[in-house]
Amino acid sequence: MKNVSFVLNGKRVSCEVQDRELLLHTLRERFSIKSVKEGCGIGECGTCTVLIDNEPHYSCLTLASKVNGHDVKTVEYLGDADHLHPLQKAFIESGAVQCGYCTPGMLLSAYSLLMKNGNPGENEIKEAISGNLCRCTGYIQIVEAIRDAAGLCKCKS
Amino acid sequence: MYIGNEINRIDAPDKVLGRPVYAEDLSIKGALFGCVFRSTRPHAWIRKIDTSAALASPGIVKTLSCYDIPGENIFGIIKKDQPYLAKDRVRYIGEPVLVVLGETEEAARKASRLIRVEYDDIGVISDPFISGDSKTLIHEKGNLLSHRKVIKGDIEKAFREADVIVEHTYTTTWLDHAFMETESGVGYPDNKGSIVIISSTQNIHYKQKEISKLLAIPEEKIKVIQATTGGGFGGKLDVTVEGFIALSVYHTKRPVVMRFTREESFLSNTKRHPLYIEYKTGARKDGAITAVKVNITGDTGPFASYGETVCLRAAIHATGPYEIPNVRVDSRMFYTNNPVSGAMRGFGVPQLAFAHESQMDEIASMLRLDSFDVRIKNALRKGSSTATSQVLRNSVGIIETLKKVEPYWRRRTRKNDHTGFGLGCMYYGIGNTGVSNPANACLNITGDGKIALHTGACEIGQGSDTVLVQILQEALGLKIEDIVLIRGDTETSKDAGSSSASRQTYISGGAVFDAAKKMRQYLDEKGFYKGRTIREIYASEADKKLLEHNGFFDPPTTPVDPETSKGSPYATYAFATHMTEVEVERETGSCRVKKVYAAHDVGRAINLKNVRGQICGGIAMGVGFALMEEFVPGKSESFDNYYMPTSMDMPDVEVFIVEDCEPTGPFGAKGLGEPALIPQAASIVNAIKDATGVRAFDLPCHIERLKKLIEDKK
Repeated sequence: MKNVSFVLNGKRVSCEVQDRELLLHTLRERFSIKSVKEGCGIGECGTCTVLIDNEPHYSCLTLASKVNGHDVKTVEYLGDADHLHPLQKAFIESGAVQCGYCTPGMLLSAYSLLMKNGNPGENEIKEAISGNLCRCTGYIQIVEAIRDAAGLCKCKS
Repeated sequence: MYIGNEINRIDAPDKVLGRPVYAEDLSIKGALFGCVFRSTRPHAWIRKIDTSAALASPGIVKTLSCYDIPGENIFGIIKKDQPYLAKDRVRYIGEPVLVVLGETEEAARKASRLIRVEYDDIGVISDPFISGDSKTLIHEKGNLLSHRKVIKGDIEKAFREADVIVEHTYTTTWLDHAFMETESGVGYPDNKGSIVIISSTQNIHYKQKEISKLLAIPEEKIKVIQATTGGGFGGKLDVTVEGFIALSVYHTKRPVVMRFTREESFLSNTKRHPLYIEYKTGARKDGAITAVKVNITGDTGPFASYGETVCLRAAIHATGPYEIPNVRVDSRMFYTNNPVSGAMRGFGVPQLAFAHESQMDEIASMLRLDSFDVRIKNALRKGSSTATSQVLRNSVGIIETLKKVEPYWRRRTRKNDHTGFGLGCMYYGIGNTGVSNPANACLNITGDGKIALHTGACEIGQGSDTVLVQILQEALGLKIEDIVLIRGDTETSKDAGSSSASRQTYISGGAVFDAAKKMRQYLDEKGFYKGRTIREIYASEADKKLLEHNGFFDPPTTPVDPETSKGSPYATYAFATHMTEVEVERETGSCRVKKVYAAHDVGRAINLKNVRGQICGGIAMGVGFALMEEFVPGKSESFDNYYMPTSMDMPDVEVFIVEDCEPTGPFGAKGLGEPALIPQAASIVNAIKDATGVRAFDLPCHIERLKKLIEDKK
């Protein structure tokens, strides 16, 4: 077992983790953050995406011990029911959500992009979410949502 | 007011917050984890199963075999021929043999790896063409699951008189649904002596019936609830985890969780049927198609699943959205020891659209006519007779969809010799084929002044919750705040049938509309539309039974003739035209889909954003079907070797909605889920031909295959 301390959605947290424990399981089981999904377990689908120091990572390939001293964000960081983030609002408005399983990871990849680039072009958006598979939407309304949110977004770290 | 507008989905706010509870997110204290031990042989007798090492493994609780099943060890949506757990024989790689229960997932999976089985291998049937005549029988009654025919007119005479004939063979392969959420569920015994199953599913009432038979427990003692479901596409219609969970709860009296890994999902989930399609078309000089003859040979794997449905639907839709006077289709579905094929978005029709749309282009090219003009000349219209001799009276929008893309087709210009344009048209019967397939819905007034809608329709991401609520709002003139949706629970709702066959908007929507008409009359009598509140009406009604109104809709169909398929198998059809532009890199064989113009006759668009979402999602799946997706048994294990479209593979899409009102549909609506996909692959294949001069006869037309086709032509 190892002790890890990190910032999770803006709050300092610490916990004991197994040596080979994956961040995905730490978040789901120790912190009950169920928005982080296991779609494949091999870093191909992106449903387990989290932000580590504002960069998207597959939590199914990340050892929990690696986030010691780092900043971790999940979709819960973006907003709550009364204060939706512009990206979340845009996903609703654009029809970018169908089954919803890829949505949290998709939002985080988009958020990371908008932090770095306030006015991304279509190809930059497509590239930013190319590690997140979606089987329902065909991505088009997701790309539109990200473009719509870009102007309205103050993505601070 | 509430329909046909840019209304947001009612489930979206929760989903962008990551809050919906999918089955795997349910934490139940003390729950066991169940995993499935599966066959490693395609066809073998089970000689001996040794679980001793597994049972000595730490954290193991129990293993369950077919001998632990108190009821019937068999299931199947139409023909019941698939065991939950293999008895003395396994018939495909991945067939479930045992359920292994552990205190944790790790314990269960570890124990499962310690199980040893001795097999005596049997001859393997890996090809549907040898299946029919093989002495090795996969089922006692023979290896032919189904043979369906469509017969109309005099086919031989028509070919004799035809000016041109085009004949080719088209093949397609296995595809995986690849829903983002794998099969999962939980179960527990409740305090009323019932077994409760909460799972990722497309049909709760069907699963309740199957579990009742499996456990020999009355249906009212089995409760099936739909968890938030991460995609279905047909792959969560068959019993997946539900039977194993129910059996485990029955034996342990404890809560049980089950979730397939992605590898397990790929291995065990049903696939799109590979079809071998021999297609012959005859036409006159003026472009009128006079004869179509098709032989379809399909591989359903060792169990029926939806094989009979696909066999019949493929046959009925083989001629496409055209009026063909002389037709002969023979569609055969064989058992093999390959993966089980089942329902997947379109039930065989996307495969046939690839064939008939390729033929349409070939005929046009032979006659030196514009393929657009050949399509419009032959397209179905009001008064046309389909291949099953059904006369279409209403809502036949194929010509309108063609006209929507016509300006783009006429103006098209190839930017260079790497680009090309292609058309794909389709029609699709909404609902199940030639059988009664009703839906129920129930409305009641609640004490807090709302109208509660009870429906068994499963929201699988397609948007049925929103659409049904919109239909109710429109019918009653109610705001969203006045409505409560209670959905997806066999205890609180009557059967609405499966979320399949593009049927929920049309059929469950029809049931909601029917209930709403009765409710509206009641509310009107009670003065609601003159200012009385629902709460006041509730309080003043002495007989609370009068507050409830049931709705029902069963589309008017007739069974098809077993010999000729004559009949009206569907009450209504959806129609579509896709026009696609591609760019092909000749040196590598890489094909990029640049732009799709997609026109769909949906009867009436209830929700514009949903309509567009279905179409864009269907196009994505069509791009995968045409260019990259291929499940190779023994090789395709997960997303690292099963390629499906990412955001980078998507074209620009322009959507055109045609609303040729369907009189039997709610506010004129039909269905869209499957039609969105069906013509896409065909239009890509035709565009590749335009760009390169080569035609793909086998899908997927992936990079290596296309490169070879281009090289062979040189």
